[in-house]
Amino acid sequence: MKMTKLPMTKWFLLAAAAAVSCGAAYAGDQEAGKKKAAEVCVTCHGADGNNANPQFPRLAGQHEDYILHALHDYKSGARKDPVMGAMAASLSPEDMENVAAWFSSQTTGLITKR
Amino acid sequence: MKRHAASALLVSFLLSAAGMANAAGDAAAGQKKNALCIGCHGIPGYKTAYPEVYSVPKLGGQHAEYIVKALGEYKSGARSHPSMHAIAAGLTEQDMADLAAYYSLGN
Repeated sequence: MKMTKLPMTKWFLLAAAAAVSCGAAYAGDQEAGKKKAAEVCVTCHGADGNNANPQFPRLAGQHEDYILHALHDYKSGARKDPVMGAMAASLSPEDMENVAAWFSSQTTGLITKR
Repeated sequence: MKRHAASALLVSFLLSAAGMANAAGDAAAGQKKNALCIGCHGIPGYKTAYPEVYSVPKLGGQHAEYIVKALGEYKSGARSHPSMHAIAAGLTEQDMADLAAYYSLGN
């Protein structure tokens, strides 16, 4: 590979370094998500998504993109729930990504079960 | 003595009744009914393809009551999802309770 003929290589390496340094396996920011969850989600879902009340779904360890899908559906009304509709309405897209990352990153939580 | 024996009998009957399959769901029965679930929910990282692409939710360790609620919503159409609607439509209330009990045993 001729480096002189491929200026894009420099940008690729820079982007790769940035991606690696983020260390992100998640789209959202877990720490920001933890803070937002403590404001909005904790009452029903617990601080880490392991809630005792069986009326509300346990979120800890759930797939990040599934949590996002559900939040989007609550916000759009595709899923109708008066409480979750209001909750989702108060979250920005970034908030949603962050809380999804926070709950998804919990190591004690839901599992894929056969 | 007779009264104690009668009470003991009653208590033991009630205790055994609590363990029998009822609306609360029987996990062992649920395990036998989950053939339609494994294909999506039993494969780590499995994603839906239609209408949107996203990860199929993990069920292991989820609250049984919530799973029953969700299945009911898929059955009624309150939650719109073609595959889940078709699957839930084929489940009785007992099926839903049993499956929910099975999947609630997780982490």
